[in-house]
Amino acid sequence: MSRFFATGSDSESEESSSADEITPKATGTTFNKQQALLLSDDEEDTKRVVRSAKDKRFEELTNIIKTIRNAMKIRDMSKCLEEFEQLCRAFLKSKTIVDKEGVPQFYVRLLADLEDYLNQLWEDKEGKKKMNKNNAKALSTLRQKIRKYNKDFETEITSYKEVLSCREGTRGQQVPQGRCCRSRHLLQDSLRWFLRVLTMQLFVCQDEESESEDDEESEDWGSDSVDSGSESEDNEGAAASLAVVFLKKYVFSLGHGRILSLKKHKKKERLEEEADEEGDGEEGGWEKVKGGVPLVKEKPKMFAKGTEINSAVVIKKLSEILQARGKKGTDRAAQIELFHALAGISNENNLGEGILVKIKFNIVSSLYDYNPNLAAFMKPEMWKKCLECIDELLDILFNNNNIFIGENIAEDSENLAISDQPFRVRGCILTLVERMDEEFTKVMQNTDPHSQEYVDNLKDEGRVCGIIDRLLQYLESKGSTEEVCRVFLRRIMHTYYKFDYKAHRRSLGLQGETKSEQDQEESEGEDSAVIMDRLCKFIYAKDRTDRIRTCAILCHIYHHALHSRWFQARDLMLMSHLQDNIQHADPPVQILYNRTMVQLGICAFRQGMIKDAHNALLDIQSSGRAKELLGQGLLMRNMQERNAEQEKIEKRRQVPFHMHINLELLECVYLVSAMLLEIPYMAAHEFDARRRMISKQFHHQLRVGERQPLLGPPESMREHVVAASKAMKMGDWKTCHSFIINEKMNSKVWDLFPEAQRVQEMLVRKIQEESLRTYLFTYSSVYDSISMKTLSEMFELDLPTVHSIISKMIINEELMASLDQPTQTVVMHRTEPTSLQNMALQLAEKLGGLVENNERVFDLKQGVYGGYFNRDHKGGYQQKQNYQRGGYRTQNQSSY
Amino acid sequence: MLTVFFDLWSDKKRSKISSVKTFSSSCVFVRLQVVLKIIKHYQEEGQGSEVVQGVLLGLVVEDRLEITNCFPFPQHTEDDVDFDEVQYQMEMMRSLRHVNIDHLHVGWYQSTYYGSFVSRALLDSQFSYQHAIEESVVLIYDPIKTAQGSLCLKAYRLTPKLMEICKEKDFSPEGLKKACIGYEHMFEEVPIVIKNSHLINVLLLDLQEKSTVADKHELLNLSSSNHLEKSLQLLMDRMDDMSQDIGKYNTYCRNLSKQQQQKQQYLQRRQQENAQRQSRGEPPLPEEDISKMFKPPQAPARMDTLLIAGQINNYCQNIKEFTSQNLGKLFMAEALQGHSS
Repeated sequence: MSRFFATGSDSESEESSSADEITPKATGTTFNKQQALLLSDDEEDTKRVVRSAKDKRFEELTNIIKTIRNAMKIRDMSKCLEEFEQLCRAFLKSKTIVDKEGVPQFYVRLLADLEDYLNQLWEDKEGKKKMNKNNAKALSTLRQKIRKYNKDFETEITSYKEVLSCREGTRGQQVPQGRCCRSRHLLQDSLRWFLRVLTMQLFVCQDEESESEDDEESEDWGSDSVDSGSESEDNEGAAASLAVVFLKKYVFSLGHGRILSLKKHKKKERLEEEADEEGDGEEGGWEKVKGGVPLVKEKPKMFAKGTEINSAVVIKKLSEILQARGKKGTDRAAQIELFHALAGISNENNLGEGILVKIKFNIVSSLYDYNPNLAAFMKPEMWKKCLECIDELLDILFNNNNIFIGENIAEDSENLAISDQPFRVRGCILTLVERMDEEFTKVMQNTDPHSQEYVDNLKDEGRVCGIIDRLLQYLESKGSTEEVCRVFLRRIMHTYYKFDYKAHRRSLGLQGETKSEQDQEESEGEDSAVIMDRLCKFIYAKDRTDRIRTCAILCHIYHHALHSRWFQARDLMLMSHLQDNIQHADPPVQILYNRTMVQLGICAFRQGMIKDAHNALLDIQSSGRAKELLGQGLLMRNMQERNAEQEKIEKRRQVPFHMHINLELLECVYLVSAMLLEIPYMAAHEFDARRRMISKQFHHQLRVGERQPLLGPPESMREHVVAASKAMKMGDWKTCHSFIINEKMNSKVWDLFPEAQRVQEMLVRKIQEESLRTYLFTYSSVYDSISMKTLSEMFELDLPTVHSIISKMIINEELMASLDQPTQTVVMHRTEPTSLQNMALQLAEKLGGLVENNERVFDLKQGVYGGYFNRDHKGGYQQKQNYQRGGYRTQNQSSY
Repeated sequence: MLTVFFDLWSDKKRSKISSVKTFSSSCVFVRLQVVLKIIKHYQEEGQGSEVVQGVLLGLVVEDRLEITNCFPFPQHTEDDVDFDEVQYQMEMMRSLRHVNIDHLHVGWYQSTYYGSFVSRALLDSQFSYQHAIEESVVLIYDPIKTAQGSLCLKAYRLTPKLMEICKEKDFSPEGLKKACIGYEHMFEEVPIVIKNSHLINVLLLDLQEKSTVADKHELLNLSSSNHLEKSLQLLMDRMDDMSQDIGKYNTYCRNLSKQQQQKQQYLQRRQQENAQRQSRGEPPLPEEDISKMFKPPQAPARMDTLLIAGQINNYCQNIKEFTSQNLGKLFMAEALQGHSS
């Protein structure tokens, strides 16, 4: 309050100084303008608390009007035009308010004045000639515009003009008080005139000056009327009585500039009055707060004291708050607060669960609304609040069987209050929980995975799962199958990637060592495998949307694979036929598919199915973008390929860190499988011209290894594999073994498997077998015969295994040899072509190609000149060709 | 070295047999000094598939070319860009003239790796030589064959036909067809006769008396696979190139014929239209430049293919020669074995 006075006195001194000097008109007006702005600034400061949207709009209008009037005074037509257009826009903006309140007087006044003014100017031919071109042009446009525009306000303007003439009348008669005016405006006018008369009586002022003063005053009054516009008719009496007080004070004033400060004074008092009124307005049934417009105020109180709080009021309040939702400038945090307060109130007053549920729904959704950006994640406290809220909501739902919720319940068919009927509440708890789950993912995505914070956040996973579980129970009893499917999928999504250590131990026949562990085991409930099975099968049976079923299948496969149930996983994958149409799925599903394939590959590897493992991992690894394909991070790429928007989308798809598949493990598994396949193959097909690579990536790694100028002991996982491959090429299985399985590799890769020991044993055996094969391929030409016993000693394999491997090679015609049973030796046939023969064979093949090419040229010639050579003839050439090539082949075979 | 020398005679005789009559000089006389210099040059500077080159000096006497001296092109790395080869040659020849040595430029020599010398570079430089000095030849020295026991030195000249083509620089399929040139008519081999002054002959005979019999005869080496493998490898590489070229030519032919058809169709349509117009009494359509509308596709240069064919021919000859010799040796060894056992 004191502050207000301080500014008031400030402006007073300024005003008086301006009044003392007799300044030219132009400067005077500018000064006045400054003054007005200053004042309005002050007003803003003090009034911010209670300003409604209406006030704001009207102030905007008045500001523009002021500038127009100023422009009018200095005959700046272009400025006038510009401002007028702005005014029209501003007026349109405040259309809703105007519809409610009626066209504000000051607006009409300006329109009328402006038109008159323009007409006057238009008539003034001399003046028009003096105008510069721009101004003249603006004048004509403005005149046309205002003519058109004023047609809409014809009635208002005529009524205003009436009043104006009335005013003229009062001026002449100088009897202001007695007039009973129809409009507020007139009252003010009369008041002003009354003051003016008094002034004239006290100080003998020049007519002119008072005239100009009149202009200024009318402006100020105009702005004043903005505030008073909201006042009701009763207020007028108060204003009139105020005038008396005002007059009293006025007597003591010395400069007529004082008027302003006094006026402010008066305004202040009025404000105070209003505040008072608000304070005890409830008794009088006066509720300014609910002025039709949604007000968002930081008022601690929802309802005034004494209001009987019943459900109707609360519901009304709720919808009021809801209306502000999503609007610009709405304080979202405050809204959440308001909801909470409302929930508290309804709780205190026992308004029933229906309303509480409704409010809770709104709290959660406004919590979700808090972040306007889809990419931003919830703040921790918000997140906690959200979890609590949903928990409470579920509590209520569980405790009250008579609440029906659903998104298809219409707003007006809701039943929140009448407690003897079942409550019907609009809202979908499933959507809320799903959104919560997404928010959780977002929180996890946006936390640094190596921080303690991540661990803390991850602890909430239990609560999220708990909520989903409870919702699952709830929906199983109440929801439709569709909803059940959805919530089942959520449950599956939280289960499939977790390794069930308890079940694993149990399957191994181990009991928990300590008592507490046993207890824990018992309390744990059923195995995740059983849960997965139940949920997925339900979805397979009931789901009608393809997406949920696809996700469920993939998760199921993943879960099987994770727990080394290779055959179930593989069969499910093959039966689902997902490989055929996964490219049509949306990216998140594709990521899930990739994850599943990778897990399947790793599972196959653990089971010793090297070929299957390789095939499963080939697609992911060969692209070199495994990280991206698994949704575990973005690859660095230039901005041309991906703009910021795409990057954001991709970021949102990322899988949270705790679900990641170890990429090094993945690559190692792939490379080792490739090594076990490729090295014997390379040895077997050393001279084959048509040899194809099994794994490009593996070859790439080998080449990288070869390119190294200095070969040190291997450091990284890749170097280990490359070194091991080189050893295997020589059939040196021991070195190979020591490169693949050692401490470094164990800590990097192998220990990540749940059954590390078993995997290592499998791996050693594979290395021995494949080394044996490689050895035989590479060095068979050197031997006439080898004793199998020697081989079994060399590779530390038992004799039957060696026997079976060699037999298999002989059967597959990979090894040209025969087994001599009595002596247990392998006798080589020595029919492998020498390198020169191989070369000759290659040359022959190439020659065949050359001839074929040549024939084609010849054909073409024939075709052009002959014209009658048809396809059959061409076929004849090719047949001949085939025959010839067949000849080569038979030659080849006979040479063996 | 001596064995090498004595083998020369047989080589000389062989080349005499296969001599072809040519217009400027029917045979090339080479001084032993030149041969030795070339061999020395390769042994000092060439290794593996690297090639050494040099300038031959001599003069034309009647219908024969006598090569009396030579000097090598210096090896120079890419670092010294300011090295001027022409300048060096001029300097060299001037210096040789000062010591009263034949200084006339009559050709150049080049070493080869497993007989691969038929290349565009050789063609171009031999063409420019022959263009400037009509009688100039290129001597091809095969160090590998020489190391196996028989000196291999051959003189080649471009055939007049090829000279014509190179002059016109028309390597399109039509051009080559018109010139009627095949890979076998590209180079003509000129018989070489190694001729010495009598004094040297006397010295050699003298030395022959004194020299001990060499205990290692490269000529009788029975191992063959290494050499054959290398040759086959090279042959295969050329085959690949050839296949590629044929493929290119094939596409060209197809494109051409397709365009021809289009052209024909267009012309026919045009004719019909004109006939119709005539029957209606209207003026015929104006003649348009058909060649502009149907731009013939870019023909692939066939010269490279020709050269590859020549090279393949060369390899085949080499392999044939090598295998026939080796077979002979094998039979000989077998007979020896049977005789001794």
